[in-house]
Amino acid sequence: MKYLVMECHTAYAVVLSDDGRFLKVANMRYEVGQTVTHVVEMVLPQTDPKKQTRRRWIPAVASMAACLVLVLGGFFMNHMPYASVYMAINPEVRIDVSRTDRVLEITGVNADGLALLEGYEPDSRDLDLVMDALVDRAIHMGYLHEGGNITLTLDANHKWVTSHETALNDHLERYLEDKISVTIDIVSQRQTQSQPAQNISDGQTAVIPVEPESDYGDSDYDSATESGDSDYDASPDSGFGVDGDSGYDEADSNYADAADPDSSDSDYGDSAYDAAAEDDNSGNGNSAGRESDSGYEEPEQDDDSDSEDDD
Amino acid sequence: MKSEHQIIKAVYEAKEDPRKADDLIQAYIPFIRSETSKYLSRLSTEQDDEYSIAMIAFYEAIMGYEKGRGAFLGYAALLIRSRLIDYGRKEARHQGHISLEEEMGGEDGRTLMDTLADEHDYYGEFAHREATRQEIQELAAVMESFGVSFSDVADNCPKQERTLSACAKVIRCGVENRELLHELLRTRKLPLSQLAALSGVERKTLERHRKYILAMLLIQTNGYECIRGHLYAVLKKGGRVS
Repeated sequence: MKYLVMECHTAYAVVLSDDGRFLKVANMRYEVGQTVTHVVEMVLPQTDPKKQTRRRWIPAVASMAACLVLVLGGFFMNHMPYASVYMAINPEVRIDVSRTDRVLEITGVNADGLALLEGYEPDSRDLDLVMDALVDRAIHMGYLHEGGNITLTLDANHKWVTSHETALNDHLERYLEDKISVTIDIVSQRQTQSQPAQNISDGQTAVIPVEPESDYGDSDYDSATESGDSDYDASPDSGFGVDGDSGYDEADSNYADAADPDSSDSDYGDSAYDAAAEDDNSGNGNSAGRESDSGYEEPEQDDDSDSEDDD
Repeated sequence: MKSEHQIIKAVYEAKEDPRKADDLIQAYIPFIRSETSKYLSRLSTEQDDEYSIAMIAFYEAIMGYEKGRGAFLGYAALLIRSRLIDYGRKEARHQGHISLEEEMGGEDGRTLMDTLADEHDYYGEFAHREATRQEIQELAAVMESFGVSFSDVADNCPKQERTLSACAKVIRCGVENRELLHELLRTRKLPLSQLAALSGVERKTLERHRKYILAMLLIQTNGYECIRGHLYAVLKKGGRVS
């Protein structure tokens, strides 16, 4: 191949090959217009700069995307409700937590629950610490007493419940160990859900003043949904009515028997009769006799009526 | 450190401007010569091919240098050495051949070349070369008026065989339609759309190699017989195709 030297520079020459290429070649003391047959072509060591910049972009974009995914993932881990813990002492509150046990929201389920949360701003977002704080408040506000009961209902998927069941229980027990002794029940899952939970709290308000825990047998708990109040009201009334009346009646009869003869008064009458007989036997004092007359007549009348019946 | 920054600045300027590249190379000739001497293990002269190779390697270093590649002079030295080694290997196949310049061993210092019968028409060749040189100078002047130098054309020259043949097709179209060439000279604008329509080559390809096509079309205008004679093969190929 022949090359026509077109331009000469210090370091290189531009040649035109006979197939129509312009080339930069090593300038071996060439002169313009010279035709040469052998050249040393210039080789650029660089790669395509456009390609390089594109390559430089890809990892940058990829890393940014990865960061975004991580940030979003973190956000969802920390800010999306994953589980709910219903804590019922009597005040019942619902604590929504994220996957990482970060408390997102606390809501009062019943009126006392709302009262318990009034003015409460959690210092920490940790579930354990929030529960401690709420229990402290409950003690302070007089909702939780010695021998009281805390029911935790865990509303989440099975895995979360199993992993937290004992942990929450242990934590609360340890926390309340040296303060107050309470019973902690953990109810897993939604089987009870909100409706029975409310009944528990209603029931507890009623029970606590009378007889803590004891009365609330299973039967009452079951029937509570159907006829809670009426059932409950009936039993004490009837009890009081029966016992009280009988007592008072007896007392009345004791005092008023002298005038009113009754079949049940026979004992008293007898005693009076016996006393009168003794008086008669003594045979002294009309007054005594008169006094005993009234008492005396009664048995007679009784006897008469008896005899008449006999007849 | 400061001088290093100055070099880098000069190198980046030289990438854009061939004249500044020449100046930079001129300023670093001692460095280039020293690198060549290190490779040759003797003092190098301007007559050595290795010196020319080292020069173009330095120019390659200028064009290929990027800030991320470390210090410029270290990079240039490395590139010069690599190119010299490459050249040495290429030349190694001539080992065992006798140079024409070699002395015969006689007392008068005659070389082998002198003993050979010389059939060259030196005068004719000189005249042709002189004519060609003038043509090239004229062409360079015309191209200058278009704002294009031969260095630019060399940078813009198609490298792929397929692109080269596509461009050759366009040039042949220009030759066949002389009015396009006149229009080019008159308006000083490359009639790209017409060329694309006539040749059936994509306009994008023409855009990409516009400087090369401009130079080649200018060569096809009147007055560049010597250069056109050199490019005879390109045009002939076209004749065969059409």
